[in-house]
Amino acid sequence: MATIATPVPASAPEPTYAETNRDVIATLRPPGRKYFAGMAFILVGLAFGAFCWGYQLRYGLGVTGYTPPIFWGTYITTFVFWVGIAHSGTLISAILLLFRSGWRTAVYRTAEAMTVFAVMTAGLFPVLHLGRAWYAYWVFPYPNFRGVWSNFRSPLVWDVFAISTYLTVSSTFLLMGLIPDVAAVRDQAAGWRRKLYGLVSFGWKGSDREWRHFGKMYLYLAGFATPLVLSVHSVVSWDFAMAIVPGWHATIFAPYFVAGAIFSGCGMVITILVPLRKAFHLERYIQVRHFESLAKVCLLTASIVAYAYATEFFMAWYSGNPFERASFYNRAFGQYWWATWIMLTCNAFIPQLLWFRKVRTSIRALFVISIFINIGMWFERFVIIVTGLSHEYEPWQWSYYLPRWPELGILIGSFCWFSMWFLLFIKFFPAVAIAEVKEALPAPVRAGGHR
Amino acid sequence: MKRRRFLQVAGAAGAGLAAGCSSGSTDRLLPYVTPPEDIVPGIPTFYASTCRECPAGCGIHVKTREARAIKVEGNPAHPVSRGRLCARGQASLQGLYDPDRIRGPFRHTARGLEPVTWDAAIAQLAEALGAAAASGPDRVALVTGADSGALDGFYDEWLRAFRSTRRLRYETFAYEPLREASRLAFGVASVPEFDFASARYLLSFGADFLETWISPVQYTREFAEAHGFRDGGMARFVAVEPRRGLTAFNADEWIAPRPGTEGLLALALAASVVRQGRAHLVGAEADRVRGFLGRFGTQSVAEATGVDEAVVDRLAREFTAAQPSLAVGGGVAHQHRAATQTAVAVHLLNYVAGNVGRTVRFQTGRALDKLSRYSDATALVTAMAGGKVDVALVHDANPAFTLPRAAGFADAFRKVGLKVAFASHFDETAALCDLILPDHTPLEQWGALETVAGTRSFVQPAMTPVFDTRQTADVLAAVAQKAGKRVAAGAASARDLVAKGLAPAALEQTLQHGGQFGPAQQRSVYLVSDFARMAYQPPAFDGDAAGPVLVVYPSASLFDGRGANKGWLQELPDVATKIAWQSWIEVHPDTARALGLGTGDVVTVTSPHGSVEAPVHVYPGVRRDVVAMPIGQGHREYGRTAKGRGVNPLDLLGADATDASGALAFCSTHVKIQKTGRSVQLASTEGSARQLGRGVARAVSLAAARQGEVEEGPEATITDAERTAIAAAAASQRQRAYIGEYAKPQPKWEMTVDLSRCTGCSACMTACYAENNIPVVGEEQTVRHRGMAWIRLERYFEGDTSGTDWQVRQIPMLCQQCENAPCEPVCPVYASYHTPDGLNGQVYNRCVGTRYCANNCPYKVRYFNWWDYGTVGDPYFAFSEPLNWQLNPDVTVRTKGVMEKCTFCIQRIRFAQNDAKVRGRELVDGEITPACVQTCPADAFVFGDAHDPDSRVSRSKADARGYNVFDMLNARPGITYLERVIRGEGA
Repeated sequence: MATIATPVPASAPEPTYAETNRDVIATLRPPGRKYFAGMAFILVGLAFGAFCWGYQLRYGLGVTGYTPPIFWGTYITTFVFWVGIAHSGTLISAILLLFRSGWRTAVYRTAEAMTVFAVMTAGLFPVLHLGRAWYAYWVFPYPNFRGVWSNFRSPLVWDVFAISTYLTVSSTFLLMGLIPDVAAVRDQAAGWRRKLYGLVSFGWKGSDREWRHFGKMYLYLAGFATPLVLSVHSVVSWDFAMAIVPGWHATIFAPYFVAGAIFSGCGMVITILVPLRKAFHLERYIQVRHFESLAKVCLLTASIVAYAYATEFFMAWYSGNPFERASFYNRAFGQYWWATWIMLTCNAFIPQLLWFRKVRTSIRALFVISIFINIGMWFERFVIIVTGLSHEYEPWQWSYYLPRWPELGILIGSFCWFSMWFLLFIKFFPAVAIAEVKEALPAPVRAGGHR
Repeated sequence: MKRRRFLQVAGAAGAGLAAGCSSGSTDRLLPYVTPPEDIVPGIPTFYASTCRECPAGCGIHVKTREARAIKVEGNPAHPVSRGRLCARGQASLQGLYDPDRIRGPFRHTARGLEPVTWDAAIAQLAEALGAAAASGPDRVALVTGADSGALDGFYDEWLRAFRSTRRLRYETFAYEPLREASRLAFGVASVPEFDFASARYLLSFGADFLETWISPVQYTREFAEAHGFRDGGMARFVAVEPRRGLTAFNADEWIAPRPGTEGLLALALAASVVRQGRAHLVGAEADRVRGFLGRFGTQSVAEATGVDEAVVDRLAREFTAAQPSLAVGGGVAHQHRAATQTAVAVHLLNYVAGNVGRTVRFQTGRALDKLSRYSDATALVTAMAGGKVDVALVHDANPAFTLPRAAGFADAFRKVGLKVAFASHFDETAALCDLILPDHTPLEQWGALETVAGTRSFVQPAMTPVFDTRQTADVLAAVAQKAGKRVAAGAASARDLVAKGLAPAALEQTLQHGGQFGPAQQRSVYLVSDFARMAYQPPAFDGDAAGPVLVVYPSASLFDGRGANKGWLQELPDVATKIAWQSWIEVHPDTARALGLGTGDVVTVTSPHGSVEAPVHVYPGVRRDVVAMPIGQGHREYGRTAKGRGVNPLDLLGADATDASGALAFCSTHVKIQKTGRSVQLASTEGSARQLGRGVARAVSLAAARQGEVEEGPEATITDAERTAIAAAAASQRQRAYIGEYAKPQPKWEMTVDLSRCTGCSACMTACYAENNIPVVGEEQTVRHRGMAWIRLERYFEGDTSGTDWQVRQIPMLCQQCENAPCEPVCPVYASYHTPDGLNGQVYNRCVGTRYCANNCPYKVRYFNWWDYGTVGDPYFAFSEPLNWQLNPDVTVRTKGVMEKCTFCIQRIRFAQNDAKVRGRELVDGEITPACVQTCPADAFVFGDAHDPDSRVSRSKADARGYNVFDMLNARPGITYLERVIRGEGA
């Protein structure tokens, strides 16, 4: 992967180890009014989402906009969206570690936390969308006397395993990587915090032996997580590719979804880092060159995704299959043309601006583009799911779906759920990997020593 | 309904039945000391009776379980229905269990509605009647529906006892023009019997004989016999009408003359037959006919009708070349001011072609012949307005709704001293009445109808009455007794009247059969010589001639509006437009474009007599100068389902728009269409009106079908290499799939549907609702495509719909029970699984509601419970008491959040299998009939075991016309459709 960043000369002098500790741990200071205001806002949104789900549970899925034959809509769209978001975290922390891309150090903690929280968010949706959510546990294969057993031929069961595996591995990876940093925080904390951090840091002392084991374990976990980046989203894509719905049933889906996932994940990392960097004055650690590298990943994956779009349309035409052709014609020019063109604009056209260095190095421009990427990737899943289902084989059963307020409420609630965890995280754990940032810094030298 | 409650009800009902037909309730659950002989828990009991939903009088079997009627099916022994039934007949159960039924006698006072005891009501009525009779003759009026037989005679006699002859046998659609035309042409004022089955060529001048006209179940069966493809032959059917409805969907050719000129066209056809020397006429009669018809030159008629001369000559040639042929006319929708003349013209055409006596036969004693005319109804209105009526009794009729508002029924009725309704509902008429004495519904009644010549069709109660109601004849008898009159030799009840002249054993046997079915007495008729009576005068239309002509047609599901409170019928999409729950106005696409109207735009429809608002349905099946609206909606009273829904197009008609027979001209006015600027979403089930070459509903021309050729579907695009690969994969799949339980010898349940027989009548849909506890979801959910009908009728237009040369393809779509079902592997919890006997089972209890199966079903025949339709107390509960009494105890009521679908009525399969096992016998082919198969009036379905090479289904499957929908998906459906056959010109 061409992600090795050319070093950008930093305007400020490199921070020292002590400054790094101080600046990063400063993010853990007692929150201010803005933080609480933001948190309150988020909790209100989350409460509304919870209310929407309660309402849906009480009256049934009828409260949503589902219009047969469109049996999946906003929930599954949002599910895939969040799973996609989750991917860049593992990419940045694990794959780039294996590739030894130095620029990842500043951003990987954020990306990794984002992964865990995004999986936690995504995992809600398969349950939320169920007709009988209270029986969701029936999809797990466990011995019981009711004769209920999982159907291992169903991609939904594969999903259960993919998502739960991913959550386990990515959270282990996150907590593991946190150990030295948490130890640093512990050293500066007092009272119950000290005890808590002591616990989470597993009594880390920073000895050579510990570092050696830590490095090995970290590498091992990175190796373990790497295939998951590819497999989890491949499995998610099979929810669609294994079905015979025109517009879903395509072999391109796995690589196409993986690229889309990384694309959306990097977009989301930018969206999160920009305000985080500003709020906690981390400009010296999360530098413009880091953003530029992320932008390059976005540009690459956007191009893959755009190519996949083109391939899909081409194959629909080239296959000669009348149903595929009709489905894709409908996708571009049918009732859902607007969704398709939002998708194409956001995912294929706008990221082309990243060819320009000026754009890549403008934080403001990157932030705006990342928002477009988020929107575009949500719509990509919407287009695949909803336009596919709206125009299947049976012409008599074609229809049109738009989400209703409970679905939008839950969508908003999911963002709030994600943000809540993130906000809690940055107040409890270092949002920038202290130890790894230090690795990239010149080693401290005693006064009067050799320079 | 809870199980406990069900057992209580069953116990109460059983006890009630055992104690001799008294209704009541129990507080405690008591076991039988001596169980009633005819109630075996789990085993249904059938009662033969007669359907009263329209005047046709089909024989029915009412299926009861634990003393509750749960299903109505046709009586195979009955000459009219031959075991089949239409949607309205199926829905009669919802009339029985309608929660809006009047639950006991009421009196309207200044304080409002008050309950009253039957004794007090009878006393009040007897007193009023006595006073009325004393004050002079004809002070009492009795309005009934299309009654016949013993009870009909009783009503007349009863009325005479109170010195009155004001009797109205009121039906909204009374076929007056046809009866009058028979009188004018043949001297017999009668509705003839039409033999569709043996006709080789059918010509319909606006008669909707597959929907509401005279006897739709019988005619559908006979039409399918004639028009269905068999042994290389079939009849040709040409429909002549300005609006193409379901009947004309089945036509091989549609001709749309200017409204009001159908009769002219019939005469021109007759003239052409004569001119071509093909007339079956002899002697002086031939000259007279020739002389009369000479006036109708093809050219002038072509100008007046807008139908090409060549077409007229061709039709005449074809009509006489096929022997025998049959022309029918006199449909309600095209009943204009020249309706009688039109019917005369059709009679003449039949006569000239030699059909009278062959396919058109006159019989004595048809109940329809005795129906009152519209003019009789308006005469009664005049009498009431003039204060000449003191007591008016209305039974089984709702004239306040079905008479045009301009007729002033309500105002006149209010002037009557005592108004009595023997109604089941607070309908428009009952709402005006002083005394409301609710009648039994037909499934609780006694009766002996003589609807068709030669038959005596019995009505018997299938269960104890649901509410505190009494049969009207019983009440009238009690009233007469109270007033000191002796009527019908003192008969005290309807049962006595019905049983009169029958020994107990004979009565029992008759009741078991459903009636006495003898041959009809035929009457020979001859053409009258007075041709002046047959002269044709083009009809006048009210209003501004610049506007389109309004066609008002009876709804195939709601009939004249009487079905409007039945959820099953409201939810049944209209057979032509596929819109449910609403009123609409059909506008031709060109007209709509000119007026700037789109589907769903609400317009004001104004005639000189009134105006209504309705949404536009853009529809190529009407002429550019015609708009059409269905009758049935627009109730201002009635029950919760009907009230305040849609508009009544009869409000647009003039009260004195009548034809020569005194019939109301339903097609009598031009209207003005104005945009309101508002728009609504139509509750249409149609996704796309075109199948776009996807080969869902296929058709082939007769010539091609004879050669064994068929229409190809999209699978034709598959290359041979692909086909070979698919076949190999399929073979290996099959090998691997048939293991364990599946490898044992099992039946494989399959179905064939002959599209050359299916007319699209949709009876199967309602039968499925009744059998499978399918909830009614309502208008809003129907708009959102959330209807639950497990079987649906898809209707596609084929060809260029800008003219009249296009075809309609219809196909019943239900679960295809695929052998390699796409729904099965995707279910994470095995709720969707394959049974060893080849069905796609659906275990409701196991379903968690991922809806993946529905996404993956290419036929889209899986239905999701978006709401909680099955739980008492939920706002969406679909079976409010006592509708829940109808629920089939053999079928689960589904809960919210689960997927449901057709299972080929697995409960019927298992019932038959268990029965065979218990009795140690083999199953017989044809013994198992799913509800849709059972009711199909056209006999389009064949169901059975495809592993038995001799079964009907196996033989039917082998037909060259057989195809599977979306065959290239390798789902291997268990339903084989047989292509429709269209017999083109001259073929």
